[in-house]
Amino acid sequence: MNSKSLISGIVGFALLAAAPLYTSNPYYIHMIGTIMIYAILLFGLDIVVGYTGQVSLGHAGLFGVGSYTAGVLFFKLGAPLWVIIPASIGVTAGFGALLALPALRVTGPYLAMVTLAFGTIIQILINEMDFLTEGPLGIKVPKPSLGGVQLNEHAFYWMVLALLVVSLVVVDRILKSQLGRAFEALRGSPVASDCMGVSVYRYKVYAFVISAGFAGLAGCLYAYSEQYISPNTYNFELTVLFLLAVIMGGRKSRVGSLLGAAIIVILPKLLDDLEMFRIVASTLAVLIAVGGAIAVSKKMTTPKAMALPVLGTIALAGFSFWLQSITDWRLSIFGLMILFVVYYLQDGIVGFVRNLFARKGPRAGHAVVRTAGEHKDAIMNAAAGAGQDLLIAKGVLMQFGGLKAINQVDITVKRGTIHGLIGPNGSGKSTMMNVLTGIYVPTAGSIEFSGRSVVGRTSSDIALSGIARTFQNVQLFGEMTALQNVQVGLHHTFGSNIVDVALHTPRYNREEAASVERGLGLIEFVGLADLANEEARNLPYGKQRLLEIARALALDPQLLLLDEPAAGLTAPDIKELITIIRKIRDHGITVILIEHHMDVVMGVCDNVSVLDFGQKIAEGKPAEVQANEKVIEAYLGGTAA
Amino acid sequence: MLSIKNLEAGYGKVQVLHGISIEVPKGKVVTLIGSNGAGKTTTMRAVSGMIKPTAGEISLSDKRIDGMESYTIAKLGLAHSPEGRRVFATMTVTDNLILGAFPRLTGSRPKGDVANDLDKALELFPRLKERRTQLAGTLSGGEQQMLAMARAVMLNPEIVLLDEPSMGLAPILVEEVFRIIEDLKSRGVTMLLVEQFAAAALKVADYGYVLENGRISVHGDAAKLRDDPAVKAAYLGGGH
Repeated sequence: MNSKSLISGIVGFALLAAAPLYTSNPYYIHMIGTIMIYAILLFGLDIVVGYTGQVSLGHAGLFGVGSYTAGVLFFKLGAPLWVIIPASIGVTAGFGALLALPALRVTGPYLAMVTLAFGTIIQILINEMDFLTEGPLGIKVPKPSLGGVQLNEHAFYWMVLALLVVSLVVVDRILKSQLGRAFEALRGSPVASDCMGVSVYRYKVYAFVISAGFAGLAGCLYAYSEQYISPNTYNFELTVLFLLAVIMGGRKSRVGSLLGAAIIVILPKLLDDLEMFRIVASTLAVLIAVGGAIAVSKKMTTPKAMALPVLGTIALAGFSFWLQSITDWRLSIFGLMILFVVYYLQDGIVGFVRNLFARKGPRAGHAVVRTAGEHKDAIMNAAAGAGQDLLIAKGVLMQFGGLKAINQVDITVKRGTIHGLIGPNGSGKSTMMNVLTGIYVPTAGSIEFSGRSVVGRTSSDIALSGIARTFQNVQLFGEMTALQNVQVGLHHTFGSNIVDVALHTPRYNREEAASVERGLGLIEFVGLADLANEEARNLPYGKQRLLEIARALALDPQLLLLDEPAAGLTAPDIKELITIIRKIRDHGITVILIEHHMDVVMGVCDNVSVLDFGQKIAEGKPAEVQANEKVIEAYLGGTAA
Repeated sequence: MLSIKNLEAGYGKVQVLHGISIEVPKGKVVTLIGSNGAGKTTTMRAVSGMIKPTAGEISLSDKRIDGMESYTIAKLGLAHSPEGRRVFATMTVTDNLILGAFPRLTGSRPKGDVANDLDKALELFPRLKERRTQLAGTLSGGEQQMLAMARAVMLNPEIVLLDEPSMGLAPILVEEVFRIIEDLKSRGVTMLLVEQFAAAALKVADYGYVLENGRISVHGDAAKLRDDPAVKAAYLGGGH
């Protein structure tokens, strides 16, 4: 957070804190309170929706769990506030873990259906379990007491505000830490996350649990705020509203969550009154017209594309003055406005504004200033024990249905060498990589790495034991910067837990600073220093491949698998790549190289194995292999260099 | 055939092309070479409408196409075989090819005989013929690349854009891809070619442009570029 947004944040919260002093109308105080409570939930929902990219329609259910934990604890046991708040968070987080279980198996629309069912079941359970929840009758919850004094409307408002600020800071810190990067990485590329030692399985559960914790807190506060809870509140409509709020406000933004919460609470109320509606519609028309004009003048869009939204909002404003009574039209107009926002502002309001005023050049993030002077080499040395067998694969068989993609292949790789793996397209080279990194479990055969079998272990486990890789079709985390991509690779260097992250303990600060330092060092190593803060998806193809190498090196691997690193590179880039591969070997890291560019293979490899139709047809020194009749016939062809 | 004038384009805030001009005459093969990030793929994308140019003109057979949607441009006879073999993975080879002819059926150009063209395309790519009932996603990388090229040819195009057709292919297949490009050329197909193997591309092409940081630094007859010492040093490297 930079100083500018910090100041505007403090001013904003000071205004919010002062709100009760300006108006004595409890209606407005209650409304702002509700917005803040929803915002707490949306912070959490954004972790799941915005960062990990999973759709959850179960958050109204989690909200309900929070409310009812508070309600039941108070009603049955008369528990005090300081017990109820942690209990609500804890119980709901538990339910969040439950909700995460299906999320591990299904994605996309299926996940949406499953979470929807989860929410519905929660609502039904609350309704049916009347021995605990009083069923449809609901529970009355008076405002809580703090230190023996019952809080009034204003005091409660300030308490909610304080918890909002705490939630905001905690969520923001989580999302900017290694946890947040792990969440974002899952969305960018699950396969790559696993191969960077970030277990997709574990971090999806974390995301749901943390998200549910905030839903629990919000639910608990909601029970106190309404002073009465009943099952009907936590219905499908509410869950859709939450999701809409995140999307409308803007994904991956705390301001977006606050805005979204404000919209879903205030907009329906504004539409109650015709005068209000006229003001809203006119303001909207002016805003869109001005915004459109700026966008067109900055060449971000064409006048044609802006015509419809501008004319549409002007028509809506005109319509508002033509209307005599709003009651019949209220819901249609609300629906129309939401449709409009979702259709035209796909990045949400915050995303739209950000695009509008975005500066040219690299985006703000970590300052790319490295400490002056000589710094240590960013790559871990793995030279110990050179010459021993590092990887021994024996009789590896990988069968897909009737197809034997790898058929009884033996490969032995000595520590500290560069081992080439070549062969025609479809001969099983990439399959071999996937078997070595645990993406596929071989049908038969044994693979021993550093004296330990890798067969049957998970990808993230294998990655952490020292095998890093790049991918034939680049698997970067596109929305993250180059530096953040490498920092995901450095995830294993973090020992700090969520408490360290939330409190910014010295341990976390030290680890984060170290990861920035090393990350920048690795990026420099592959020659991308000036692109550290560029989003990975904006890098040209060849540079993306280099970034993948930097990310893989971040794992401190003993064995690095490079899958066609030179594909799509031009001659000068290939020279640079060869230098980099040699430097990696000089650090004692063993390399397995799949490549079609013979000049690369011949230039750097110590040994080469050739696959064809899943079988090893040749092996030896590069020159021997190049002269092998079988290899020429199957792979090299007549005139190859 | 294809004429690009002072084209500017980019992604979001990042401008990649700073006013480039390229002419592709009918029946000729023109190649675009340059290092990574120079803007080769961006040029291809701007021409086929996948990204919208921010300035400049692009015309196909004297008709302005800049700002048009990709599907409209395809109907006018421009086929794009994109970088990275984007085939329809869950459809068969035959269906992929027939879809390649789809824009012909809806546009104003002659519809022709799709079944006959399918046979011809399969003759041109014998490997695909063997695998015509297989799902495209199960093909090897090289076969997918051929499928992407064959699908482009199915449009009966006025011009074909080939983006890195040999990327990630075994040396023996690289030769075959260039043989196919030669073959297409001898049939009078106009092509704009982007290739990592700049030397091979300049061998098959009639004319070449060198892109540097989004600007054209050199252009000329392919044979002349091949002998240009500066181009040689920067892009042709040794051997391939």
